[in-house]
Amino acid sequence: MPRAKARKEEPAEAGSDIVMDEAPTSHQPESRDDMSVDQDEDDEVEAEDDEVEEEEEVQRVRLLPGSTPTAASFEFLNESHTLGNALRYIIMKNPDVEFCAYAIPHPSEAKMNVRIQTFEGTTAIQALEKGLRDLQDLCDVVSDKFIEAREKFAATASS
Amino acid sequence: MSREQYQVPTTGSGNTGGGAFSAPAPRDYAGESGGVMYYMCGDCAVRVPLEKGAPIRCQKCGARVLYKERTKRMVQFEAR
Amino acid sequence: MPHKPPTQEELERRKIVGIHGETITDVTSTDFPGHYPGEEHSWDIDAFRRGFSVEFHQNDPYEASFSLIGCDASIANAFRRIMIADIPTLAIETVFINNNTSVIQDEVLSHRLGLIPFKGGHEGLHNFLKWWRKPADESQINNSYYDFNTVSLRLEVKCEHNDAAAPNETDPTKLYKHAHVYARDIEFCPVGRQDRYFSGADAIAPVNSDILIAKLRPGQEISLSMHMHKGVGSDHAKFSPVATASYRLMPVIRIERPILGADAEKFARCFPRGVIALDKVTKEDAAQRGSGYEGHEGEVKAVVADPMRDTVSRECLRHPEFKDKVKLGRRRDHFIYLVESTGQWESDAIFLEAVAHLKKRAQDLEKQVVNMVR
Repeated sequence: MPRAKARKEEPAEAGSDIVMDEAPTSHQPESRDDMSVDQDEDDEVEAEDDEVEEEEEVQRVRLLPGSTPTAASFEFLNESHTLGNALRYIIMKNPDVEFCAYAIPHPSEAKMNVRIQTFEGTTAIQALEKGLRDLQDLCDVVSDKFIEAREKFAATASS
Repeated sequence: MSREQYQVPTTGSGNTGGGAFSAPAPRDYAGESGGVMYYMCGDCAVRVPLEKGAPIRCQKCGARVLYKERTKRMVQFEAR
Repeated sequence: MPHKPPTQEELERRKIVGIHGETITDVTSTDFPGHYPGEEHSWDIDAFRRGFSVEFHQNDPYEASFSLIGCDASIANAFRRIMIADIPTLAIETVFINNNTSVIQDEVLSHRLGLIPFKGGHEGLHNFLKWWRKPADESQINNSYYDFNTVSLRLEVKCEHNDAAAPNETDPTKLYKHAHVYARDIEFCPVGRQDRYFSGADAIAPVNSDILIAKLRPGQEISLSMHMHKGVGSDHAKFSPVATASYRLMPVIRIERPILGADAEKFARCFPRGVIALDKVTKEDAAQRGSGYEGHEGEVKAVVADPMRDTVSRECLRHPEFKDKVKLGRRRDHFIYLVESTGQWESDAIFLEAVAHLKKRAQDLEKQVVNMVR
């Protein structure tokens, strides 16, 4: 059972989180990384116009120990219920996925875990990638339909 | 103030009121800023110049409640 | 046994959350592969496109209401949460107080200033302005402010006696000059290229100029400058672009058996105005066998006119005369949003931005997952 295996390997890690240096500070100056998608300016003011430079992003997704190809747990840093639940839904819509769930193990840690178990023939990582792609497609449809409806409403409201 | 100079104030030491403990020689604030300190009148909000030893009283309205002026320094706050 | 595809009626029934006197039923969605034997329900973007629709009810700058029909709660909730917590806005973040002799304390004043919503040119706010980040080296903080990440404001007010006031005047606002400090007293100080983006009608200014910041009496003074930065609602509520962003599920009222006459009027009173209309039983109704209208032609009957206005108070379920005549519910896939902007964004733009934000999030994470495997 992969879940049990994962549990067994965790204690070493669980013990390490008493290190107080890692405790979140109240002001959290560093944890803003997630939202700073386009804050790539350094010291030059001119750098503002060319938006090509992408800062080397920190790895926010991690495969948790004890995972097998078809049954894996992923840890997302700086993610919340917002993406967790949406991702869970869209992965559950995948017929090759046997089980999918998400959890936020502790509310004061900005971590979100996703568990995916798939049937033979695909892997958990593939299911996760497909889920993220499907979510993007979904957003496109919502956006298109929203703009369409807004135009229609504006036309009826003005006439 | 060094630790030796400081004396823990006690209530039952016989002395009553001000000057209960031997503080270091009081700093001459008035002397530092040219003899006058400014206070705010609690009644009419006028700026009251006071010399050392002068009666604590507003020259304009005679009120006896005077406030210290706020620091001239800039103070920084987070708007949270 | 060969599987029969579900009828349209069955599909509709599956969408309804049942609401009874004291209980609710069928709360969770069941449209997943493997839930119904022989049915597909896997993700299909074309099927989603066919089944999904948006309907606008109101679209004003400060208030928009629309329905998303045909999507799951997890998706609808993601958009709602993003609107509240992840869409960036500009707000006062640091206050430098030179003097404040008013009765309101410095930190309280600073807090109040932070909560004032501001507006400005959209191009400048959304594209020109970028994040400001506290430098790792605290001593470099003064070299971290640029025209593209910091907006500077000033507030200089002094209260004085108004010599022109009538002798028996008691109103402090007339008796003194600047007895009240309002948001309109905040002055925008453009630096660098900010002139280009924030001038004229596009200037950075409070959304509502009448927000009361402090009250002063003669001799009191407030003199301060402020820095505004971009931030998100998850960091502090002052950065949230919305006053409210919420949704509710579409109410469903089904009248199973006729409600007639005085009962119909009582029934209508169980609901907010406009939800239930009173109609006459027509000849056709009365002619229909088994409808319950036979012999009641010309009488008043209750019909559902506008279920969207219902609050689902369940009042009608408390009366024995309506027992088994009415079924209440909500549509699980019909979300009626209400988005009230604080003024920096248009309300509808906030939703679109939320959709774009979710897509960007997914895109970034897809890269991250690829990177993880590598």
